[in-house]
Amino acid sequence: MNSLSYLLGGPQGGGLETSSQVLSWAFAKSGYGVISDREYYSNIVGRHSYIHAKVDGEELPKDLEYPVKLLGSMDAESVFTHFTDLDRGAYVVYNSDLNSTRLSQIPSVEPEVGIKILEVLKKLNVEQDLGSLVKYLKENGVNIVALSYRDLLSELQKRTSIVAAQASRYISTIIIGASAALAGIDPEAVKYGLTRRFKSGPVLEHNLAFSELVTNLVLSSFGSPLKLDPPKADFGKLMIVSGNDIVAMGKVVGGLRMQTYYPITPAADESFTLEEHERLGDSGAGSLTVFQLEDELGAVNAAIGAALTGVRVAAATSGPGFDLMVEGLGWAGMNEAPVVITYYQRGGPSTGQPTRGGQSDLLSSVFASHGEYPRMVLASGDHEEAFWDAVDALNFAEIYQIPVIHLVDKFLANTIRSVTLPDLSKASINRGKIVDQPGKDYKRFSFESPVSPRAFLGKALLWYTGDEHNEEGHIVEESENRVKIMDKRMKKLELIEQEVPEERRVSVFGEESPDVVLYGWGFVKGAAFGAIKMLKEEGVKAMYVHVRTFVPYPKKTIQDLYSKYRDVMIGVEHNYLAQASILASTFANVEIKKHILKYTGRPIYSNELKEAVMRVLKGSDKVVLEYGA
Amino acid sequence: MVLELKPTDYKSSVWVDWCPGCGNFGILSAMYQAFAELKLDPRKIVVVSGIGCSGKTPHFLNVEGVHTLHGRALPYAEGIKVANPELEVLVNAGDGDLLGIGAGHFVALGRRNIDMVVMMHDNTVYALTKGQAAPTLERGAKPKSLPKPNIQDAVNPIALALASGYTFVARGYSGKVKHLKELIKAAIQHRGSAFLDILQPCVTYDNIHTYDYYNERVYDLQESGYDPEVKGEPEPKIAEAIAKSYEKGSKIPIGIFYRNPNVPTFDERLKERIPSYMQNPPAYQTIEKGGKTVISQELFEKIFESYLI
Repeated sequence: MNSLSYLLGGPQGGGLETSSQVLSWAFAKSGYGVISDREYYSNIVGRHSYIHAKVDGEELPKDLEYPVKLLGSMDAESVFTHFTDLDRGAYVVYNSDLNSTRLSQIPSVEPEVGIKILEVLKKLNVEQDLGSLVKYLKENGVNIVALSYRDLLSELQKRTSIVAAQASRYISTIIIGASAALAGIDPEAVKYGLTRRFKSGPVLEHNLAFSELVTNLVLSSFGSPLKLDPPKADFGKLMIVSGNDIVAMGKVVGGLRMQTYYPITPAADESFTLEEHERLGDSGAGSLTVFQLEDELGAVNAAIGAALTGVRVAAATSGPGFDLMVEGLGWAGMNEAPVVITYYQRGGPSTGQPTRGGQSDLLSSVFASHGEYPRMVLASGDHEEAFWDAVDALNFAEIYQIPVIHLVDKFLANTIRSVTLPDLSKASINRGKIVDQPGKDYKRFSFESPVSPRAFLGKALLWYTGDEHNEEGHIVEESENRVKIMDKRMKKLELIEQEVPEERRVSVFGEESPDVVLYGWGFVKGAAFGAIKMLKEEGVKAMYVHVRTFVPYPKKTIQDLYSKYRDVMIGVEHNYLAQASILASTFANVEIKKHILKYTGRPIYSNELKEAVMRVLKGSDKVVLEYGA
Repeated sequence: MVLELKPTDYKSSVWVDWCPGCGNFGILSAMYQAFAELKLDPRKIVVVSGIGCSGKTPHFLNVEGVHTLHGRALPYAEGIKVANPELEVLVNAGDGDLLGIGAGHFVALGRRNIDMVVMMHDNTVYALTKGQAAPTLERGAKPKSLPKPNIQDAVNPIALALASGYTFVARGYSGKVKHLKELIKAAIQHRGSAFLDILQPCVTYDNIHTYDYYNERVYDLQESGYDPEVKGEPEPKIAEAIAKSYEKGSKIPIGIFYRNPNVPTFDERLKERIPSYMQNPPAYQTIEKGGKTVISQELFEKIFESYLI
């Protein structure tokens, strides 16, 4: 076995993330690649949350898939919610003290979820208590690891000074210990994971001892049936990061020295990561100032103000926050101020699905604002791209003196992956046209070229205004000046068209002479990678064309592919309107007619993408995906 | 370098297109004079404005000017100051800008005590859109521009500034330029967020709050013996200043209501966290060497050690 998909489920705030982190670190320490997506409610404590992960010994996995081989459940709700996700021969770790728990008694189950589960149970002729469900699963090829969490925790209390109230925190350790046993993780690697999480002291000791106790117990009855083959690839030096983390890292490398924000899910963690590392290791390499504002109006406009002083600056936000930022974005466009907006898409409109993912803000990123001004829109498909896009966004903003929107999404933000360390010898910084000692005749908005030499506040007498202005930055309403300065600003789009190479705008993966061409962007990339492999097994050759910049748009590549494969091109996106296909028609004059769309707020899984492609090949024009709790 | 600039040296070549007699002229004159008397380097002064008549102020000054969006002058100014604490930042914005559309920013600045000056052009109306009621217009008032009397209450700018945490709070009057100039100088010299409520007649739309109206009513707080200085705990002085700002009657106090030099400024708070902040603020950071990032592979691994396997 080269790869293992698993689920860990439990109540929000119950330690699930600890289990997930420790297992990820342990797998990575053992030389495997890991990816794990966290799905959770907009809630602090109590609602159902789960981790969907994949471990792989051949490559650093990018995709998530169902069914899974292992379900580690902290509570009854996790088993009820996820038993349909299980593969044949899968293992379920559960709390046998809860056998009599009935689905309808669990208050945290959303009524709509409960009804769906009840329907399934009814079809299977299974009573709605956990014991009956587990019995059914056992009879149908699922391996049940029944543990009395109560007994285990009282054993823990007997051996340590832990009081009952604290003991429940150790349920996450039961999940770690049992999963480690079934997956045959090297005990040293588990110890490494726990030590990273708990550092030192009695809490670490208790966790180490308790995990070992559970591991030995499970090993004695079940062995390690899910043990992976030794890793086949050597991935080199790895780090484990969320999407939020790696964007922060890219920004630090790319010279970001000031970030503004207002708290919003799923963007805020990035600003925390930056703040945590604000002293840049006390290395003399400078520092980074994170400035929390009172709202996103404050965040974007403070960022733009800061940009005028010469600092590389960004604001991080999500949909509702971006909406508030749009007027500021226009000011930045009008005043040729380099500013980066890192835009973490979530499910909209309005508050929408604050903790779920989506790709429904593409059109808004490209078109938002009154008036016309140049901007660039980059979109990241995985952690590696997010790192380099963060660097590039800062470069592009200064090279062209424009606002740059860097689109990421909740899927990426909250997905933890093992990635190789970026090779920083490739990290270039281009600050564009800067004048350090402006002369007496210096004009900030000189008509000489679309991108004027830029002086910073404090260096020359400068005027900026959101009103239409002359070369000096003073308000002018005269018509000829209006045309001149509009042309000057808008011509940046032509420059960008000329200077940003096609290979920076788009990547093409998969088979040559394909039977089907998937057209996607953002987090679709991982699922497309997985689906291409699965389709190959079915004898279908698939290509994936992955858009990395929407402004500028990869018109040439899309038109070339369209001319050859128009009838088998499928747009794949996490939105309703197929927004990237709308842009293909707007910017490349091609009409992609077939679509695979998902807007549940959950990511596209490679297995469901493969199945959907097969359906399209059999004649469907549109498949809407719905898998995932 | 000691600068010897005359007030007129701070005047730009742009024609001042306010209505003849506009109260803003007094504010502008006071600024020219204050800058000259403090011998400020024009390139180190940034005047940030919002939208409306007062929004044009930066264009009339030969200093750095940033004319921003309606309601957002404060965030721009804060971004500038946090990125480059060497710059002397003054905000010129209207009462609608600061207490209406941008009131959230107004309160938040007080919490930060960022070292800058906020000059509120207080004329009780939205003049550039032809005289609608601003947040400083009292209920029942009907300046000639309004079709009906105002049915919204006025906010008390002084009390709001005090409650928000501004550490220098004063009121000036554009009809008393010399007095106003001294207030601007004191506000610039104060370390922390300084708020100036500047009474300013709108001669076109407000026939109530005229020069005559103010000339009859204003009196100098300091001449009356009021002491604005915080000597011990700030709360009693805040209470006294707020009471003063609610003083009933036909008199309007101008002068300094409150001054507290003892609250740490935002840059001092940042310095606590980032020791090099003042010597090497965000605007002055070196981020590249020969086109490459200054973050070496080794440094990257040091900064982000906790993520490495």
